[in-house]
Amino acid sequence: MREIPLIGHYDVDDVLAWDQEGPRTVRRFLADAASLAESLPDRSTVLNLATNRYDFLVGFAAAIMRRQMTLLPQSRASQTLLRIAGEFSGSYALTDRGDAIEGIDSVSIQLRGDQALWPMDIPRIPTDRVVAVAFTSGSTGRPMPNKKTWGALTAVAQATGARLGIKAGDRLSVVATVPHQHMFGLEASVMLPIMHGLAMHAGRPLFPADIRSMLADAASRWMLVTTPLHLRACVSESISIPPGGLILSATAPLPRNLAQQAEEHFQAEVHEIFGFAEAGSIAERRTIDGDRWQPLEGVHVAQDASSCLVQAWYLPTPVPVPDRITVDTDGTFVVHGREADQVNVAGHRISLGDLNQLLLKIDGVQDGVFFLPEEGASLVTRLMAFVVAPGKTSEEIQRTLRAYVDPVFMPRPLVCVPSLPRNATGKLPRESVSELARQWLEREGDGA
Amino acid sequence: MEQSGASLLERDLAKLIVQTLKLKIDPAAIEPEAALFGEGLGLDSIDALELSLAISQTYGYQLKSSDPQIKTIFSSLRALAEAIEKNRTK
Repeated sequence: MREIPLIGHYDVDDVLAWDQEGPRTVRRFLADAASLAESLPDRSTVLNLATNRYDFLVGFAAAIMRRQMTLLPQSRASQTLLRIAGEFSGSYALTDRGDAIEGIDSVSIQLRGDQALWPMDIPRIPTDRVVAVAFTSGSTGRPMPNKKTWGALTAVAQATGARLGIKAGDRLSVVATVPHQHMFGLEASVMLPIMHGLAMHAGRPLFPADIRSMLADAASRWMLVTTPLHLRACVSESISIPPGGLILSATAPLPRNLAQQAEEHFQAEVHEIFGFAEAGSIAERRTIDGDRWQPLEGVHVAQDASSCLVQAWYLPTPVPVPDRITVDTDGTFVVHGREADQVNVAGHRISLGDLNQLLLKIDGVQDGVFFLPEEGASLVTRLMAFVVAPGKTSEEIQRTLRAYVDPVFMPRPLVCVPSLPRNATGKLPRESVSELARQWLEREGDGA
Repeated sequence: MEQSGASLLERDLAKLIVQTLKLKIDPAAIEPEAALFGEGLGLDSIDALELSLAISQTYGYQLKSSDPQIKTIFSSLRALAEAIEKNRTK
Protein backbone atom coordinates (compact mmCIF):
# COMPACT_ATOMS: atom_id res chain seq x y z
CA MET A 1 0.00 0.00 0.00
CA ARG A 2 1.15 3.50 -0.85
CA GLU A 3 2.11 5.72 2.06
CA ILE A 4 2.30 9.51 2.30
CA PRO A 5 4.16 11.31 5.12
CA LEU A 6 2.15 13.18 7.75
CA ILE A 7 3.68 16.49 6.65
CA GLY A 8 5.66 17.45 3.58
CA HIS A 9 8.29 19.92 2.32
CA TYR A 10 9.47 21.23 5.69
CA ASP A 11 12.88 21.31 7.35
CA VAL A 12 12.77 20.52 11.06
CA ASP A 13 13.34 24.13 12.08
CA ASP A 14 10.77 25.62 9.70
CA VAL A 15 7.80 27.37 11.28
CA LEU A 16 4.68 25.24 10.92
CA ALA A 17 2.36 27.47 12.94
CA TRP A 18 2.47 30.81 14.69
CA ASP A 19 0.35 33.09 16.84
CA GLN A 20 0.79 35.79 19.49
CA GLU A 21 2.65 33.27 21.64
CA GLY A 22 5.30 32.83 18.97
CA PRO A 23 6.29 30.30 16.32
CA ARG A 24 5.92 26.49 16.55
CA THR A 25 8.55 24.71 14.53
CA VAL A 26 8.18 21.37 12.80
CA ARG A 27 10.45 19.85 15.45
CA ARG A 28 8.17 21.12 18.19
CA PHE A 29 5.05 19.94 16.34
CA LEU A 30 6.29 16.39 15.85
CA ALA A 31 7.28 16.20 19.51
CA ASP A 32 3.91 17.65 20.65
CA ALA A 33 2.00 15.18 18.45
CA ALA A 34 4.06 12.13 19.45
CA SER A 35 3.81 13.03 23.10
CA LEU A 36 0.02 13.53 22.92
CA ALA A 37 -0.36 10.29 20.93
CA GLU A 38 1.22 8.37 23.80
CA SER A 39 -1.27 9.75 26.30
CA LEU A 40 -4.48 9.23 24.27
CA PRO A 41 -6.96 6.64 25.52
CA ASP A 42 -7.23 3.38 23.62
CA ARG A 43 -10.32 4.14 21.53
CA SER A 44 -11.06 4.04 17.83
CA THR A 45 -12.79 7.40 17.30
CA VAL A 46 -12.26 10.90 18.68
CA LEU A 47 -14.24 14.15 18.43
CA ASN A 48 -11.57 16.82 17.96
CA LEU A 49 -13.18 20.01 19.28
CA ALA A 50 -10.00 22.09 19.64
CA THR A 51 -10.63 25.75 18.84
CA ASN A 52 -6.96 26.60 18.29
CA ARG A 53 -5.82 25.43 14.84
CA TYR A 54 -2.41 24.27 16.03
CA ASP A 55 -3.94 22.31 18.93
CA PHE A 56 -6.40 20.79 16.48
CA LEU A 57 -3.57 19.73 14.19
CA VAL A 58 -1.60 18.22 17.08
CA GLY A 59 -4.73 16.28 18.11
CA PHE A 60 -5.44 15.20 14.53
CA ALA A 61 -1.85 14.02 14.02
CA ALA A 62 -1.79 12.22 17.39
CA ALA A 63 -5.06 10.44 16.51
CA ILE A 64 -3.62 9.39 13.13
CA MET A 65 -0.50 8.05 14.87
CA ARG A 66 -2.77 5.99 17.14
CA ARG A 67 -4.94 4.86 14.18
CA GLN A 68 -7.96 6.69 15.56
CA MET A 69 -10.53 8.30 13.28
CA THR A 70 -11.16 12.00 13.92
CA LEU A 71 -14.85 12.87 13.91
CA LEU A 72 -15.66 16.36 12.60
CA PRO A 73 -19.11 17.44 13.84
CA GLN A 74 -20.86 20.18 11.81
CA SER A 75 -21.59 22.08 14.99
CA ARG A 76 -20.82 22.14 18.68
CA ALA A 77 -24.50 21.97 19.60
CA SER A 78 -24.57 19.59 22.58
CA GLN A 79 -27.19 17.23 21.15
CA THR A 80 -25.31 16.97 17.83
CA LEU A 81 -22.15 15.93 19.68
CA LEU A 82 -24.03 13.41 21.83
CA ARG A 83 -25.73 11.90 18.80
CA ILE A 84 -22.43 11.48 16.94
CA ALA A 85 -20.74 10.06 20.03
CA GLY A 86 -23.69 7.66 20.30
CA GLU A 87 -23.30 6.45 16.73
CA PHE A 88 -19.55 5.93 17.13
CA SER A 89 -19.67 4.31 20.53
CA GLY A 90 -16.55 4.62 22.64
CA SER A 91 -15.80 8.07 21.21
CA TYR A 92 -14.11 10.63 23.42
CA ALA A 93 -13.62 14.36 22.94
CA LEU A 94 -10.34 16.24 22.58
CA THR A 95 -10.58 19.82 23.77
CA ASP A 96 -8.09 22.63 24.23
CA ARG A 97 -9.79 25.01 26.64
CA GLY A 98 -10.62 22.63 29.42
CA ASP A 99 -14.19 22.41 28.03
CA ALA A 100 -16.03 19.37 29.29
CA ILE A 101 -18.82 18.00 27.13
CA GLU A 102 -21.57 16.54 29.26
CA GLY A 103 -22.04 12.85 28.53
CA ILE A 104 -18.77 12.46 26.58
CA ASP A 105 -15.37 11.59 28.08
CA SER A 106 -13.10 14.55 27.45
CA VAL A 107 -9.33 14.73 27.20
CA SER A 108 -7.58 18.06 27.27
CA ILE A 109 -4.85 18.59 24.66
CA GLN A 110 -1.54 19.00 26.49
CA LEU A 111 1.38 20.37 24.47
CA ARG A 112 4.35 18.69 26.10
CA GLY A 113 6.75 19.09 23.19
CA ASP A 114 8.91 16.44 24.76
CA GLN A 115 12.29 17.15 23.16
CA ALA A 116 13.64 13.81 24.42
CA LEU A 117 11.60 12.11 21.73
CA TRP A 118 13.77 13.75 19.07
CA PRO A 119 15.15 12.62 16.64
CA MET A 120 12.05 11.01 15.21
CA ASP A 121 10.92 10.05 11.75
CA ILE A 122 7.96 11.75 10.15
CA PRO A 123 5.21 9.10 10.31
CA ARG A 124 4.11 7.66 6.96
CA ILE A 125 0.38 7.00 6.64
CA PRO A 126 -1.19 4.43 4.29
CA THR A 127 -3.39 6.22 1.75
CA ASP A 128 -6.34 3.85 2.29
CA ARG A 129 -6.60 4.53 6.02
CA VAL A 130 -9.73 6.41 7.11
CA VAL A 131 -8.44 9.32 9.19
CA ALA A 132 -11.46 11.62 9.41
CA VAL A 133 -15.24 11.51 9.28
CA ALA A 134 -17.12 14.63 8.15
CA PHE A 135 -20.83 14.87 8.85
CA THR A 136 -23.51 16.27 6.58
CA SER A 137 -27.17 16.80 7.14
CA GLY A 138 -29.51 14.54 5.23
CA SER A 139 -33.27 14.53 5.09
CA THR A 140 -33.47 11.85 7.77
CA GLY A 141 -32.72 14.20 10.64
CA ARG A 142 -29.55 12.25 11.44
CA PRO A 143 -26.00 13.45 10.71
CA MET A 144 -24.63 11.41 7.79
CA PRO A 145 -21.01 10.27 8.14
CA ASN A 146 -18.59 10.76 5.22
CA LYS A 147 -15.36 8.85 5.67
CA LYS A 148 -12.14 10.50 4.49
CA THR A 149 -9.04 8.48 3.75
CA TRP A 150 -5.53 9.88 4.08
CA GLY A 151 -5.26 9.41 0.32
CA ALA A 152 -8.34 11.58 -0.31
CA LEU A 153 -7.21 14.40 1.99
CA THR A 154 -3.68 14.49 0.63
CA ALA A 155 -4.84 14.23 -3.00
CA VAL A 156 -7.17 17.21 -2.61
CA ALA A 157 -4.42 19.22 -0.89
CA GLN A 158 -1.93 18.43 -3.69
CA ALA A 159 -4.43 19.19 -6.45
CA THR A 160 -5.51 22.46 -4.82
CA GLY A 161 -1.92 23.56 -4.30
CA ALA A 162 -1.04 22.70 -7.90
CA ARG A 163 -4.01 24.68 -9.22
CA LEU A 164 -3.12 27.73 -7.11
CA GLY A 165 0.49 27.52 -8.23
CA ILE A 166 1.79 26.87 -4.70
CA LYS A 167 5.23 25.29 -4.84
CA ALA A 168 7.26 23.56 -2.16
CA GLY A 169 9.48 26.25 -0.72
CA ASP A 170 6.96 29.07 -1.26
CA ARG A 171 6.56 29.22 2.53
CA LEU A 172 3.26 31.10 2.39
CA SER A 173 1.78 32.27 5.70
CA VAL A 174 -1.80 31.02 5.91
CA VAL A 175 -4.48 32.86 7.91
CA ALA A 176 -7.95 31.31 7.95
CA THR A 177 -11.33 32.62 9.09
CA VAL A 178 -12.97 29.22 8.54
CA PRO A 179 -13.26 26.56 11.24
CA HIS A 180 -10.87 23.64 10.80
CA GLN A 181 -13.62 21.15 11.71
CA HIS A 182 -15.43 22.02 8.49
CA MET A 183 -14.40 20.16 5.36
CA PHE A 184 -13.16 23.24 3.49
CA GLY A 185 -11.37 24.47 6.61
CA LEU A 186 -9.68 21.11 7.14
CA GLU A 187 -8.63 20.93 3.49
CA ALA A 188 -7.52 24.51 2.91
CA SER A 189 -6.30 25.66 6.32
CA VAL A 190 -4.75 22.42 7.64
CA MET A 191 -4.06 19.86 4.88
CA LEU A 192 -2.98 22.36 2.20
CA PRO A 193 -0.38 23.98 4.51
CA ILE A 194 1.05 20.73 5.91
CA MET A 195 1.42 19.16 2.47
CA HIS A 196 3.28 22.20 1.06
CA GLY A 197 5.54 23.24 3.91
CA LEU A 198 3.49 26.38 4.69
CA ALA A 199 3.05 28.19 8.01
CA MET A 200 -0.45 28.50 9.49
CA HIS A 201 -1.80 30.98 11.99
CA ALA A 202 -3.18 29.05 14.97
CA GLY A 203 -6.03 31.47 15.55
CA ARG A 204 -9.25 32.15 13.72
CA PRO A 205 -9.87 35.87 13.13
CA LEU A 206 -13.41 37.19 13.05
CA PHE A 207 -13.29 40.97 12.69
CA PRO A 208 -11.60 42.76 9.76
CA ALA A 209 -9.16 44.40 12.22
CA ASP A 210 -8.09 40.91 13.41
CA ILE A 211 -7.55 39.72 9.85
CA ARG A 212 -5.53 42.84 9.09
CA SER A 213 -3.20 42.45 12.06
CA MET A 214 -2.60 38.75 11.41
CA LEU A 215 -1.82 39.31 7.73
CA ALA A 216 0.41 42.26 8.61
CA ASP A 217 2.28 39.97 11.06
CA ALA A 218 2.86 37.28 8.45
CA ALA A 219 6.55 36.60 7.97
CA SER A 220 6.14 35.84 4.26
CA ARG A 221 3.65 36.21 1.41
CA TRP A 222 0.22 35.68 2.93
CA MET A 223 -2.69 33.50 1.94
CA LEU A 224 -6.16 34.18 3.34
CA VAL A 225 -8.56 31.22 3.49
CA THR A 226 -11.99 32.70 3.95
CA THR A 227 -15.64 33.03 2.96
CA PRO A 228 -17.63 35.63 1.00
CA LEU A 229 -18.99 36.90 4.31
CA HIS A 230 -15.59 37.74 5.83
CA LEU A 231 -14.25 39.04 2.53
CA ARG A 232 -17.19 41.42 2.22
CA ALA A 233 -16.49 42.67 5.74
CA CYS A 234 -12.80 43.27 4.90
CA VAL A 235 -13.66 45.14 1.70
CA SER A 236 -16.32 47.20 3.44
CA GLU A 237 -13.83 48.20 6.17
CA SER A 238 -11.11 48.85 3.53
CA ILE A 239 -8.48 47.25 5.74
CA SER A 240 -4.94 47.86 4.61
CA ILE A 241 -2.65 44.85 4.26
CA PRO A 242 0.62 44.13 2.44
CA PRO A 243 -0.06 43.66 -1.31
CA GLY A 244 0.60 40.52 -3.31
CA GLY A 245 -1.17 37.89 -1.22
CA LEU A 246 -3.52 35.12 -2.26
CA ILE A 247 -7.17 34.85 -1.26
CA LEU A 248 -9.05 31.55 -1.33
CA SER A 249 -12.79 31.66 -0.69
CA ALA A 250 -15.38 28.92 -0.44
CA THR A 251 -18.61 27.79 1.28
CA ALA A 252 -20.88 30.05 -0.84
CA PRO A 253 -20.62 31.65 -4.28
CA LEU A 254 -18.55 34.81 -4.29
CA PRO A 255 -20.18 37.64 -6.28
CA ARG A 256 -17.88 38.70 -9.13
CA ASN A 257 -17.99 42.40 -8.24
CA LEU A 258 -16.88 41.60 -4.68
CA ALA A 259 -13.98 39.51 -6.04
CA GLN A 260 -13.07 42.40 -8.35
CA GLN A 261 -13.08 44.89 -5.47
CA ALA A 262 -11.00 42.55 -3.29
CA GLU A 263 -8.45 41.97 -6.09
CA GLU A 264 -8.05 45.70 -6.61
CA HIS A 265 -8.07 46.77 -2.99
CA PHE A 266 -5.76 44.06 -1.65
CA GLN A 267 -3.63 43.65 -4.81
CA ALA A 268 -4.23 39.93 -4.45
CA GLU A 269 -5.61 37.18 -6.65
CA VAL A 270 -8.98 35.91 -5.48
CA HIS A 271 -9.66 32.23 -6.16
CA GLU A 272 -12.64 30.16 -5.20
CA ILE A 273 -13.12 26.50 -4.38
CA PHE A 274 -16.28 24.56 -5.11
CA GLY A 275 -16.84 21.54 -2.95
CA PHE A 276 -19.06 19.84 -0.43
CA ALA A 277 -18.39 17.61 2.55
CA GLU A 278 -19.34 14.38 0.76
CA ALA A 279 -16.60 14.76 -1.89
CA GLY A 280 -14.37 17.54 -0.56
CA SER A 281 -13.04 20.31 -2.82
CA ILE A 282 -13.68 19.37 -6.45
CA ALA A 283 -13.12 22.49 -8.57
CA GLU A 284 -11.56 25.93 -8.63
CA ARG A 285 -11.91 29.24 -10.45
CA ARG A 286 -10.41 32.70 -10.33
CA THR A 287 -13.69 34.52 -9.77
CA ILE A 288 -13.00 37.52 -12.03
CA ASP A 289 -12.31 35.18 -14.97
CA GLY A 290 -15.90 33.99 -15.21
CA ASP A 291 -18.54 31.58 -13.98
CA ARG A 292 -16.96 28.33 -15.10
CA TRP A 293 -15.47 25.92 -12.57
CA GLN A 294 -12.42 23.93 -13.56
CA PRO A 295 -12.33 20.49 -11.87
CA LEU A 296 -9.19 19.80 -9.83
CA GLU A 297 -6.65 17.37 -11.27
CA GLY A 298 -7.99 13.82 -10.93
CA VAL A 299 -11.62 14.90 -10.54
CA HIS A 300 -14.22 14.15 -13.18
CA VAL A 301 -17.78 15.47 -13.09
CA ALA A 302 -20.23 13.46 -15.18
CA GLN A 303 -23.75 14.51 -16.05
CA ASP A 304 -26.55 12.17 -17.01
CA ALA A 305 -30.24 12.84 -17.50
CA SER A 306 -31.14 13.05 -13.85
CA SER A 307 -28.03 13.86 -11.84
CA CYS A 308 -24.40 14.90 -11.72
CA LEU A 309 -21.77 12.66 -10.19
CA VAL A 310 -18.22 13.38 -9.05
CA GLN A 311 -15.63 10.71 -9.68
CA ALA A 312 -12.05 10.57 -8.41
CA TRP A 313 -9.67 7.72 -7.68
CA TYR A 314 -9.86 8.44 -3.96
CA LEU A 315 -13.67 8.37 -3.77
CA PRO A 316 -14.90 4.79 -3.21
CA THR A 317 -18.09 5.46 -5.21
CA PRO A 318 -19.23 8.38 -7.40
CA VAL A 319 -20.77 11.15 -5.27
CA PRO A 320 -23.89 13.11 -6.33
CA VAL A 321 -23.42 16.90 -6.53
CA PRO A 322 -25.89 18.61 -4.15
CA ASP A 323 -26.25 21.63 -6.46
CA ARG A 324 -27.84 21.99 -9.87
CA ILE A 325 -24.97 22.21 -12.37
CA THR A 326 -24.38 21.98 -16.12
CA VAL A 327 -21.24 20.21 -17.31
CA ASP A 328 -19.62 21.29 -20.58
CA THR A 329 -17.90 18.91 -23.00
CA ASP A 330 -14.50 20.08 -21.74
CA GLY A 331 -15.39 18.97 -18.20
CA THR A 332 -15.81 22.48 -16.76
CA PHE A 333 -19.17 23.29 -15.22
CA VAL A 334 -21.51 26.08 -14.17
CA VAL A 335 -23.42 26.04 -10.88
CA HIS A 336 -27.04 27.22 -11.06
CA GLY A 337 -28.15 26.82 -7.46
CA ARG A 338 -28.91 24.44 -4.70
CA GLU A 339 -31.06 21.36 -4.93
CA ALA A 340 -34.50 22.26 -3.56
CA ASP A 341 -34.04 20.82 -0.08
CA GLN A 342 -30.62 22.37 0.59
CA VAL A 343 -30.05 25.82 2.05
CA ASN A 344 -26.83 27.69 2.72
CA VAL A 345 -26.68 30.14 5.61
CA ALA A 346 -23.39 31.99 6.08
CA GLY A 347 -21.55 29.22 4.27
CA HIS A 348 -23.09 26.38 6.25
CA ARG A 349 -25.18 23.92 4.27
CA ILE A 350 -28.08 22.02 5.74
CA SER A 351 -31.13 20.19 4.51
CA LEU A 352 -34.46 21.90 5.26
CA GLY A 353 -35.94 18.44 5.70
CA ASP A 354 -33.42 17.75 8.43
CA LEU A 355 -34.23 21.02 10.21
CA ASN A 356 -37.97 20.33 9.94
CA GLN A 357 -37.46 16.89 11.48
CA LEU A 358 -35.63 18.45 14.42
CA LEU A 359 -38.46 20.91 14.92
CA LEU A 360 -41.05 18.13 15.00
CA LYS A 361 -39.12 16.22 17.65
CA ILE A 362 -39.52 19.06 20.14
CA ASP A 363 -42.01 18.29 22.87
CA GLY A 364 -45.31 20.12 22.26
CA VAL A 365 -44.58 20.94 18.60
CA GLN A 366 -47.40 19.59 16.41
CA ASP A 367 -46.23 20.92 13.08
CA GLY A 368 -43.46 23.14 11.85
CA VAL A 369 -41.48 24.28 8.84
CA PHE A 370 -38.30 26.23 8.15
CA PHE A 371 -38.09 28.75 5.34
CA LEU A 372 -35.23 30.75 3.79
CA PRO A 373 -36.45 34.15 2.56
CA GLU A 374 -35.02 35.93 -0.50
CA GLU A 375 -31.66 37.57 0.12
CA GLY A 376 -31.82 41.03 1.62
CA ALA A 377 -29.29 43.76 2.28
CA SER A 378 -27.58 42.26 5.33
CA LEU A 379 -24.42 40.14 5.23
CA VAL A 380 -26.43 37.00 5.92
CA THR A 381 -30.04 36.07 5.25
CA ARG A 382 -31.40 34.07 8.17
CA LEU A 383 -33.93 31.27 8.22
CA MET A 384 -37.48 31.72 9.48
CA ALA A 385 -39.63 29.03 11.04
CA PHE A 386 -43.38 28.66 11.42
CA VAL A 387 -44.48 26.39 14.23
CA VAL A 388 -47.78 25.01 15.49
CA ALA A 389 -47.34 24.43 19.21
CA PRO A 390 -50.37 25.36 21.32
CA GLY A 391 -49.39 26.38 24.82
CA LYS A 392 -45.72 26.88 23.94
CA THR A 393 -43.96 30.20 23.40
CA SER A 394 -41.51 30.79 20.59
CA GLU A 395 -38.81 31.46 23.24
CA GLU A 396 -39.33 27.99 24.75
CA ILE A 397 -39.05 26.32 21.36
CA GLN A 398 -35.98 28.38 20.46
CA ARG A 399 -34.28 27.38 23.69
CA THR A 400 -34.76 23.67 22.96
CA LEU A 401 -33.78 24.05 19.33
CA ARG A 402 -30.52 25.73 20.30
CA ALA A 403 -29.23 22.47 21.76
CA TYR A 404 -29.71 20.72 18.42
CA VAL A 405 -28.59 23.11 15.69
CA ASP A 406 -25.66 25.36 14.88
CA PRO A 407 -26.43 28.98 15.85
CA VAL A 408 -26.40 30.08 12.18
CA PHE A 409 -29.48 27.96 11.55
CA MET A 410 -31.50 29.37 14.44
CA PRO A 411 -34.68 30.84 12.92
CA ARG A 412 -35.16 34.62 13.03
CA PRO A 413 -37.94 34.78 13.79
CA LEU A 414 -39.64 31.62 14.96
CA VAL A 415 -43.33 32.40 14.54
CA CYS A 416 -46.05 30.46 16.33
CA VAL A 417 -49.10 30.00 14.09
CA PRO A 418 -52.45 28.20 14.61
CA SER A 419 -51.87 25.93 11.58
CA LEU A 420 -49.73 25.48 8.48
CA PRO A 421 -51.18 25.77 4.96
CA ARG A 422 -50.94 22.05 4.14
CA ASN A 423 -52.79 20.91 1.01
CA ALA A 424 -55.30 18.07 0.68
CA THR A 425 -52.54 15.46 0.49
CA GLY A 426 -50.91 16.83 3.62
CA LYS A 427 -48.01 18.31 1.67
CA LEU A 428 -46.69 21.76 2.33
CA PRO A 429 -45.80 23.34 -1.02
CA ARG A 430 -42.89 25.79 -0.95
CA GLU A 431 -45.13 28.46 -2.53
CA SER A 432 -47.55 28.26 0.39
CA VAL A 433 -44.76 28.68 2.95
CA SER A 434 -43.35 31.51 0.88
CA GLU A 435 -46.77 33.21 0.91
CA LEU A 436 -47.03 32.71 4.68
CA ALA A 437 -43.62 34.34 5.10
CA ARG A 438 -44.54 37.20 2.76
CA GLN A 439 -47.73 37.92 4.69
CA TRP A 440 -45.90 37.79 8.01
CA LEU A 441 -43.13 40.13 6.84
CA GLU A 442 -45.69 42.54 5.40
CA ARG A 443 -47.57 42.59 8.69
CA GLU A 444 -44.53 42.92 10.94
CA GLY A 445 -42.40 45.11 8.67
CA ASP A 446 -38.85 44.10 7.88
CA GLY A 447 -37.51 45.63 11.05
CA ALA A 448 -35.21 48.01 9.17
CA MET B 1 -39.45 46.10 30.59
CA GLU B 2 -37.95 49.55 30.76
CA GLN B 3 -34.31 50.44 30.34
CA SER B 4 -33.65 51.57 33.83
CA GLY B 5 -31.13 54.36 33.71
CA ALA B 6 -29.93 53.70 30.17
CA SER B 7 -27.63 56.41 28.86
CA LEU B 8 -28.21 58.19 25.57
CA LEU B 9 -25.40 56.21 23.92
CA GLU B 10 -26.85 52.96 25.27
CA ARG B 11 -30.23 53.81 23.79
CA ASP B 12 -28.70 54.74 20.41
CA LEU B 13 -26.66 51.56 20.45
CA ALA B 14 -29.72 49.44 21.26
CA LYS B 15 -31.42 50.95 18.19
CA LEU B 16 -28.34 50.23 16.06
CA ILE B 17 -28.28 46.58 17.24
CA VAL B 18 -31.98 46.04 16.55
CA GLN B 19 -31.75 47.72 13.14
CA THR B 20 -28.53 46.03 12.03
CA LEU B 21 -29.56 42.56 13.11
CA LYS B 22 -33.24 43.01 12.19
CA LEU B 23 -34.32 41.79 15.59
CA LYS B 24 -38.05 41.73 16.19
CA ILE B 25 -37.83 43.49 19.51
CA ASP B 26 -38.26 46.97 20.90
CA PRO B 27 -34.78 48.52 21.41
CA ALA B 28 -36.01 49.78 24.78
CA ALA B 29 -36.50 46.15 25.84
CA ILE B 30 -32.76 45.45 25.78
CA GLU B 31 -31.65 45.59 29.38
CA PRO B 32 -28.30 47.44 29.66
CA GLU B 33 -26.79 44.73 31.86
CA ALA B 34 -28.30 41.64 30.19
CA ALA B 35 -26.24 39.25 28.03
CA LEU B 36 -26.28 39.99 24.29
CA PHE B 37 -24.88 36.68 23.06
CA GLY B 38 -25.64 33.03 23.80
CA GLU B 39 -28.63 32.77 26.10
CA GLY B 40 -29.40 36.49 26.20
CA LEU B 41 -30.48 37.83 22.82
CA GLY B 42 -29.15 34.63 21.27
CA LEU B 43 -26.68 36.42 19.01
CA ASP B 44 -23.82 34.55 17.32
CA SER B 45 -20.46 35.33 15.75
CA ILE B 46 -22.01 36.44 12.45
CA ASP B 47 -24.07 38.97 14.39
CA ALA B 48 -20.87 40.11 16.08
CA LEU B 49 -19.30 40.63 12.64
CA GLU B 50 -22.34 42.53 11.29
CA LEU B 51 -22.46 44.59 14.44
CA SER B 52 -18.74 45.38 14.26
CA LEU B 53 -19.22 46.84 10.76
CA ALA B 54 -22.13 48.99 11.91
CA ILE B 55 -20.17 50.20 14.96
CA SER B 56 -17.16 51.01 12.78
CA GLN B 57 -19.31 53.00 10.35
CA THR B 58 -21.29 54.81 13.04
CA TYR B 59 -18.64 55.43 15.71
CA GLY B 60 -15.34 54.90 13.89
CA TYR B 61 -14.31 52.16 16.34
CA GLN B 62 -12.90 48.96 14.83
CA LEU B 63 -13.46 46.00 17.15
CA LYS B 64 -10.72 43.39 17.49
CA SER B 65 -11.15 39.95 19.03
CA SER B 66 -7.47 39.93 19.98
CA ASP B 67 -8.41 42.76 22.34
CA PRO B 68 -8.05 41.15 25.77
CA GLN B 69 -11.30 42.83 26.82
CA ILE B 70 -13.37 41.50 23.90
CA LYS B 71 -15.46 39.06 25.97
CA THR B 72 -16.29 41.83 28.42
CA ILE B 73 -16.98 44.34 25.64
CA PHE B 74 -19.60 42.08 24.09
CA SER B 75 -21.04 40.92 27.40
CA SER B 76 -23.79 43.54 27.58
CA LEU B 77 -25.18 46.69 26.02
CA ARG B 78 -23.59 48.71 28.82
CA ALA B 79 -20.11 47.20 28.39
CA LEU B 80 -20.28 47.70 24.61
CA ALA B 81 -21.36 51.33 25.05
CA GLU B 82 -18.49 51.96 27.47
CA ALA B 83 -15.95 50.54 25.00
CA ILE B 84 -17.39 52.69 22.22
CA GLU B 85 -17.30 55.79 24.40
CA LYS B 86 -13.61 55.16 25.11
CA ASN B 87 -12.55 54.35 21.53
CA ARG B 88 -14.91 56.26 19.26
CA THR B 89 -13.44 58.56 16.62
CA LYS B 90 -16.79 59.98 15.45
